[in-house]
Amino acid sequence: MGEKRTDLLRGTLDLLILKALSLEPLHGVGVSRRITQITKGAFQVSFGSLFPSLHRMEEKGWVEAEWRSSENNRRAKYYRLTPPGRAQLKLEEREWNQVVKIMTAAVESA
Amino acid sequence: MPGRITSLFRNLLRKNTVEQALDDELQSAVEVLTEEKMKQGLSHPEARRQALIEIGGVEQVKEDVRTIRVGRALEDFARDIRFAFRTLAKSPGLTAIVVITLALGIGVNTAIFGIVNGMLLRPLPVRAPEQIMFLAAEQKGASLQTYTVSYLDLVDYRKQVSAFSDLFAYEIALVGLSAYGRAEEIAASCVTGNYFSALGLQPTLGRLFLAGEGEKPGEAGMMVLGYSYWQKRFGGDPGVVGRQVLVDGKPVTIVGVGPKGFGGLHSILEMDAYLTLNRGLGFGQGPDGFGYFRGVRLLRAYGRLAPGVNLTQAQSSFDVTAARLAGQYPGDDKGITVRVIPEKRARPDPSVASIIPLVASSFLALATLVVLLACLNVANILLVRATVRQGEMGIRAALGAGRGRLIAQVLTECALLALVGAAAGVILGQFANNLLGSTIKQVLSNIPLRLEGGVDWRVFSYALGIAVFTGMIVGVSPALRASRANVNVMLRETGRSDSPGAGRHQLRNVLVVAQLAGSLVLLVAAGLFVRSLAHVQRMNLGLDPDHVLNVTLDPHGIGYDEPRTRGFYRELEARVRALPGVKSAALAFFVPMGNVQEPRGIHIEGHPLASGQQPPQVLLNRVDPPYFEMMRVPLERGRGFAETDNATTPRVAIVNQKMAKQFWPNEDPIGKRFSIFSPTGPFTEVVGVAQDGKYVVAALEEPVPFFYIPYAQDYSSMMTLHIRSAVPPESLIAPVREVIRGLAPDLPIYDVETMKQSLWGMDGFFVFRLGAVVATVMGLIGLALAVVGVYGVVSFSAGQRTHEMGIRMALGAERQDILRLVLRQGMVLVMVGVLCGLIASWALTRITARLLVGVSATDPLTYTSVALVLAAIALWACYVPARRAMRLDPMAALRYE
Repeated sequence: MGEKRTDLLRGTLDLLILKALSLEPLHGVGVSRRITQITKGAFQVSFGSLFPSLHRMEEKGWVEAEWRSSENNRRAKYYRLTPPGRAQLKLEEREWNQVVKIMTAAVESA
Repeated sequence: MPGRITSLFRNLLRKNTVEQALDDELQSAVEVLTEEKMKQGLSHPEARRQALIEIGGVEQVKEDVRTIRVGRALEDFARDIRFAFRTLAKSPGLTAIVVITLALGIGVNTAIFGIVNGMLLRPLPVRAPEQIMFLAAEQKGASLQTYTVSYLDLVDYRKQVSAFSDLFAYEIALVGLSAYGRAEEIAASCVTGNYFSALGLQPTLGRLFLAGEGEKPGEAGMMVLGYSYWQKRFGGDPGVVGRQVLVDGKPVTIVGVGPKGFGGLHSILEMDAYLTLNRGLGFGQGPDGFGYFRGVRLLRAYGRLAPGVNLTQAQSSFDVTAARLAGQYPGDDKGITVRVIPEKRARPDPSVASIIPLVASSFLALATLVVLLACLNVANILLVRATVRQGEMGIRAALGAGRGRLIAQVLTECALLALVGAAAGVILGQFANNLLGSTIKQVLSNIPLRLEGGVDWRVFSYALGIAVFTGMIVGVSPALRASRANVNVMLRETGRSDSPGAGRHQLRNVLVVAQLAGSLVLLVAAGLFVRSLAHVQRMNLGLDPDHVLNVTLDPHGIGYDEPRTRGFYRELEARVRALPGVKSAALAFFVPMGNVQEPRGIHIEGHPLASGQQPPQVLLNRVDPPYFEMMRVPLERGRGFAETDNATTPRVAIVNQKMAKQFWPNEDPIGKRFSIFSPTGPFTEVVGVAQDGKYVVAALEEPVPFFYIPYAQDYSSMMTLHIRSAVPPESLIAPVREVIRGLAPDLPIYDVETMKQSLWGMDGFFVFRLGAVVATVMGLIGLALAVVGVYGVVSFSAGQRTHEMGIRMALGAERQDILRLVLRQGMVLVMVGVLCGLIASWALTRITARLLVGVSATDPLTYTSVALVLAAIALWACYVPARRAMRLDPMAALRYE
């Protein structure tokens, strides 16, 4: 299924989804494609992980869903970041950067 | 998090909408993907196929989404329960078997626990019952401890012991109550005035006694009715309060009715009424006035601990006081100590309080074994079903159910079964308890027994605990099996009935072996109790109880004085002897293993007591001259009593062998003298020696000293007329009643029963019979469960091997070979099970050794016969399915799927 270690780090998937949605509202398949795009093909998220994550975020209030017509005039469920979602994105970006810094320092120190 | 709470409601309440939306979302995702693939040049069907592959199974994704939803656990639980109900309802036969099996197991437990609870665990229905202490007065060096105190000592304890806020006491008295023109015997407690206030009780009606009331000489007698007796005898009539009634022929005023649910302090006897202390012997306004003697100890004393005082402090404060009193009154109180025991731990009497928990835990252990066997059986049934349901589990796993979900579902089903079983079990247990209670009450009709086996929270939580426990045991193996769900294997195996591979049925075999072993333990325990009972019944009692009727009377109750009473008994004996069918009759005060006894302190002439020693207490019987011949008590030496031994001739006595040996070792006891009054006489001369018998507790008793004195020389108004008959003794009851009515129409007949019935009483064989019956019932239930278990496993595995047998027959196997094949499997199980059971019995039953009489806990006869019976029955359970397998039509077997 071409899934590459989406559980690379706990929370990575959430961060990627939030990031993908930060530009514009997307439907499920769109989120998947956008993640592949922004990670330059490094990550392909399985739908078995993606949809549960989206629904969990919806229940947490980070994203809102809305049914509307897609580019091909199909009805699809679009997810959009809410203000708490944006705040969460900021938070997770900051944490991620910290982790990267620490890890980089740790790896290079050796 | 309001968002999550909204989601919770939405998820739970608007489930269909939510489900529909999820479905729509995934359908649209599939379409989006399909379109994307078509743009890459794929045909529509191929694009759709690829899209579905990429999604990775629409249903699985949906299930994954559902898993993360809020309220999911709740929803699952509700669904599991609904589903469990549906599944169980779909196979009512199986459900019924499981529920009945569990109900039997849990019912036995509830019944036994109910009794234990009622007797040992339930606190007294009084204020702060944990503060109530029993004050067990002990006499140094005495062989017969009564744990009772004298009134004068109690008064001193009250003054000098500070650790208690109240000290109170009672004495049980069986009295004749005449009210509204009807006389009957009732069980009453003669209580100190502060009895009710110390216990913190409130009257239902009227008033209770006040502190100090009834403890002064010359006061009028008063009575408080017990609530249930008030209901039973007076129909709850409020008008009884203030009424004057006769108690033992003397006027007494009813001042009130006690609280509901309170039956006195004795844990076994239920009190009908409470009298002021001045009505009892312990206080003494009787002709002797001996209540004023410090040495007459007849009261059972209790205390309520003062706030903040612990047991140790209370004990040491009593030690100081007892020592002080011993110094002050060396004649009476030397060697007397008081042990402070929490009330619950002194039940029913400190002398047996140590063995009662052992009895209780032994029977609870047996009952637990029964429930374990029931569990094993049910586990076995469910395992078989789990095998059959593997296909279903496989499909569920394929549709995305996780391991946890499968386990949860199986466990829910088992828990539901266990709960239904427990509910049925509690009802069954209650029923068994009532049955047991009414049987006991019938057998011991002359004792006001308290046997309230009602379900309270203790019994309820016990049953619930057992239910949870059984649910776990029963559910754990099928659940684990379900959790190992490998979709491919499960789906592939569905509907196939291959011959089982090695080890497939190992778990079930282990269960059956455990069942056989467990039921063998139960049967061995039952066998030991039955043998014990048989031994007790064969025991030499020192008299011949066959064809004897006992009639107990007390003319004092209708106001007869001594000469009139003696005259009455003389006339009664003469008239009864003249009845057809009567061989002989005799009067006696004491009935062996009965409820009335009188220990006397005795002083041996020429053997003054060492200082600080109390005179040894010895039981006595007052009898008239025909007694020894009539009851067939053998006289070893000397003579019996004669009509010439009367009030005007010297006092004489007949002692038993033990008494002769103990007080005149290596001497001829005939002609020796002792006094039942004081060291200085008057003395009684020993004229004969009777064979040792059993007097108090038939089964457990080593020979104890005992002596007889002529009724003509020592008076008591309550006597028992023994009648030896040529006809069945029961047939004499009516004519004897007629004789009594002719002599004294108002005299209440306290007790009429055959000697054999009397021996079945509390101190006779009754406990042994009860133990034997209860153990046997449990043993039979265990046996039935084991047989069902063996039969189930053997026939199930034979059924599974039908195909294999067809092949064997087709290849030329004889029917005998098939029979042997099936039988061998069963026989191995039975042999291993019986062997394990023998070892387990040998290890476990020695705990009960103290409860057995005349039979060792490792009695080879019991072990062998029980093992043989179990093996035979279990083999029969194997033979039935084996024979069925033998009769298979090879063609049908081959086609069998």
